[in-house]
Amino acid sequence: MTVSMDFQARDLHKQYGEGAAAVHALRGLSFDINAGEVLVFLGPSGSGKSTLLNIIGGLDRASSGALDFRGQDLMALSDTALTRYRRRNIGFVFQFYNLIPSLTAAENVRLVTDIAADPLPAQDVLAQVGLSGRTSHYPAQLSGGEQQRVAVARAIAKRPDILLCDEPTGALDSQTGITVLEVLAQANRAYGTTLIIITHNSGIGAMADRVFHFLDGDIARIEHNDTRIAPTEINW
Amino acid sequence: MKTLTLKLLRDLWRLRSQALAIALVIAAASATLVLSLSVHASLKNTQEMYYTQNRFADVFTDFKRAPRGIIERIESLDGVSVAQGRIKQYVTIDKPDTVEPLRALILSVEDQGTSVLNRLLIKDGRGPDLYAAGEVVVDDSFAKANGFAIGDTLSATIYGTKQDLTIVGRGLAPDYIWAMAPGDLIADDTRFGVLWMGRKALEAVTDRTEAITSISLKLNGQAREQEVVRQLDQILEPYGSAGAYGRDDHISHAFIINELVQLKAMAYSMPPIFLSVACFLVYIVLGRLIRTERSRIGLLKAFGYSSAAITWHYLSFAMVIAFCGVVMGVALGAWLGGEIMQLYMVHYRFPFSYYSVSPGVMGIAAVLSNAAALLGAFGGVRSVALLTPAVAMAPAAPAVYKTGWVERFGIIMNAGGIGNMVTRHLARWPVRSAMTSFGVAMALGLLFSVLQFSDGTSEVIENYYFRSQKQDMSVSLIEPRSPAVIHDFYKLPGVIKVEPRRSVSAKLRNGPRARRTGIEGRPPDGTLAALIDRSGRHQRMPERGLTLSAVLAKKLRVEIGDVVTVEVLEGHHRVVDLPVAMVIKEYVGERAYASLETVAQLTGDGSGATRLQLKIDPARRDDLMRALKSTPAVLGVSERSSERVKFSQMIDENINTFMTFFTVFSAIIVIGVVYNSARIIFSERAHELATLRVLGYTRTEVGSILLGEIAILVFLALPTGCVFGYAFGSLISELVSSDLFRMPFSPARSTYGSAMILVLVASAASAIVVGKRVLELDMVRVLKARD
Repeated sequence: MTVSMDFQARDLHKQYGEGAAAVHALRGLSFDINAGEVLVFLGPSGSGKSTLLNIIGGLDRASSGALDFRGQDLMALSDTALTRYRRRNIGFVFQFYNLIPSLTAAENVRLVTDIAADPLPAQDVLAQVGLSGRTSHYPAQLSGGEQQRVAVARAIAKRPDILLCDEPTGALDSQTGITVLEVLAQANRAYGTTLIIITHNSGIGAMADRVFHFLDGDIARIEHNDTRIAPTEINW
Repeated sequence: MKTLTLKLLRDLWRLRSQALAIALVIAAASATLVLSLSVHASLKNTQEMYYTQNRFADVFTDFKRAPRGIIERIESLDGVSVAQGRIKQYVTIDKPDTVEPLRALILSVEDQGTSVLNRLLIKDGRGPDLYAAGEVVVDDSFAKANGFAIGDTLSATIYGTKQDLTIVGRGLAPDYIWAMAPGDLIADDTRFGVLWMGRKALEAVTDRTEAITSISLKLNGQAREQEVVRQLDQILEPYGSAGAYGRDDHISHAFIINELVQLKAMAYSMPPIFLSVACFLVYIVLGRLIRTERSRIGLLKAFGYSSAAITWHYLSFAMVIAFCGVVMGVALGAWLGGEIMQLYMVHYRFPFSYYSVSPGVMGIAAVLSNAAALLGAFGGVRSVALLTPAVAMAPAAPAVYKTGWVERFGIIMNAGGIGNMVTRHLARWPVRSAMTSFGVAMALGLLFSVLQFSDGTSEVIENYYFRSQKQDMSVSLIEPRSPAVIHDFYKLPGVIKVEPRRSVSAKLRNGPRARRTGIEGRPPDGTLAALIDRSGRHQRMPERGLTLSAVLAKKLRVEIGDVVTVEVLEGHHRVVDLPVAMVIKEYVGERAYASLETVAQLTGDGSGATRLQLKIDPARRDDLMRALKSTPAVLGVSERSSERVKFSQMIDENINTFMTFFTVFSAIIVIGVVYNSARIIFSERAHELATLRVLGYTRTEVGSILLGEIAILVFLALPTGCVFGYAFGSLISELVSSDLFRMPFSPARSTYGSAMILVLVASAASAIVVGKRVLELDMVRVLKARD
């Protein structure tokens, strides 16, 4: 069986500043990411996981090296092309939800479906994350967990190829966190979305196919899980 | 340097463009204040100093001829401190290189140009010798306009006698700061000027040995002007007096006073409006700006800084901005004021200009601007300083949005996500949105009120030079001539039509209210002038009764049908009661009209003409001018077209110079408000905008949220701004109107359009500058930051 590949990274470097003041955020990373894979990035603060996520998500550029997305060189894309790439291929979930306070839950989701090529109906996605009764509520009227579920619904509604989640459970209690992870895992199963999760919670690694352990701007090791466990089984 | 002071400086640098925009708004308002007040005060001081130094008289009278001995008698009157008698004689000058005849008024002076009152100031050369025939000093502006130099000889006709005049000096006097030929509406230095000649020499050439034709008086402190005028009229009546009058009716003085009234009105109407608009804007903008500093204020509190220390820190921030604004404004205002004073020196004959900006004016600008800035800053900082540090450091709780009318409107309009974001944000803070829109509306109102001035002046020109006047030329005659003279004029080249005019000086009285004015007699069937009533309709000159300009009727408190007592100030000094037959719309002067027949009854000397209105063939204009120049009866000629040009020029240089400055200042205010509002909206929503960029929205789409919100606020401001403009404009026009010149408020529709377009352009430019910040949004930060 041939596995299609989403990303191929070779010798990726990211450097901030010049000379003595230069900070090496990434020091020559090389890896492949397969389509439909669930990856967890673990590591201490400043180890380079967010920098890599930003580069993969088209929010930032590597200083050198190569990064291909399905045969397309991301390093060569213009700002406009990167915006298009985010629009078509990427879904984001943030630690602090980043919902638009002036839009209701349904409208926050529609914000993304409006500009997507083949989106799911906003109501359906909200039902999927268990919020069918809260669609016309504004963010300020929702709990943290509900807000994050809206954020996840917003991310998956456009059926992205890649779902990038930066500490999606960081601001949530364990029960709510598990609910959110279940929704993410379901999106991976249902649509074959590649899922990349940054977390400080090593227990979450057990739901991934592979866990990248980051240290000082490099991938110190890659852990392969033969079987992925369901989010409900995670030892929080 | 304390760390907090260092922070203050760094904050100012960080927010430099916003601080500069606020400072510019304050600068524009302060400059208006300094400019208007300083020019008014300086012109007034210059006039007063000149009057004092050169002893400008208090009471004046002209008559046909009286013996010099009468001066002593008049000087002995109660209340009179000094009396001066002199000869005044209109002369024509033949300037070989011009086809137009030149007119001049020649005045007698003592040896070397000395006199007790209305002293001649020699600018160049020397005064004329008492006896030297033909030695004259020429009025400086007249000399400059015609290129006359010391040593030049002028060919003049004085009292029917040809005489060569030698220019021995150039000078000016306080009674001719504004020199205008009789019957003209506007001063024209190229056609009319003043000359001074030694008394004995002028007596000889006018055949008035030891006689005078004019007296000026200086009154002492206890004098009652009206009483002196009454006695003077009594004494001089046998000598053909035209009636004594005080400074108020002295034409040169009246022009200066008119200018001062307009300047004062401008100084007391424009700057308060500018300042209140600016203060309001600074209040909103600075308040909102400081609210965006919330987390920094929280941090300072967490470190242990007291609320008082933090409040003071932000008040200092506001004061530094206000101070910079005031300094810029005062400097700019003072510089522009100096430039405008230079313009006055061109129009008015002052020997010096005394321009200064009083510390009081600077103080007012500083106090008002600082108060506005402090109030705004205080409002902003107070709401934050009251919070506990933990709450203040945390971002403000997400705004609670509710479904309301905007929501329903959004559904109807199908506004979409971005549309909803824009409209709900506006509706979530209705007061704040309304204040910003209100601010833009006030700035628009200000701009409109300034722009509409040119419509007012156009209306004056249109009304006077196009609707009321139909002649091409106006010829003034040396003395009243019988109507037969008309036939002689028909024989001149290019003359198509001639109509006589007879002017007579009179005092019109209604009970205790009296005004000194001229009554112009016109043929009722004349076609070279039109009378336009208050509703703008053309009317025929009534055969009987008086036609009064609306302002004169208002001053006398009479209406059509009321009776006015006319005291004729020349000839037989008849006193006649006449009914008011018509009231007309005129913007310049306060004049009265009657049929030629009525005027003849008033003068009692038959129907003479003092002036002829001509319709001519333009192709033969130069031939006609040459013919008029050699016609002995002609004193001078004025042309409607050149008068109109002069009039427009005068308006351009006086009112419009001010208005150009004010337009620029208004535009600065518009830019200041919109730019700051846009910056604040941007900083309030930067997080949301960056989130949208992360979600894949393009820069244009994200920019449209920012620009959309500003666009709505600006569009909502347009109708309100026009209402403000109407109110400000009518108020200012009313305030700058004076006895001599009324500024009508008649804005053209296009002016509303121009003002709105200017506001839209200024807004678009400011918004685009801020919109460029969307390009620099830090998307990465958003992933980590809490909303």
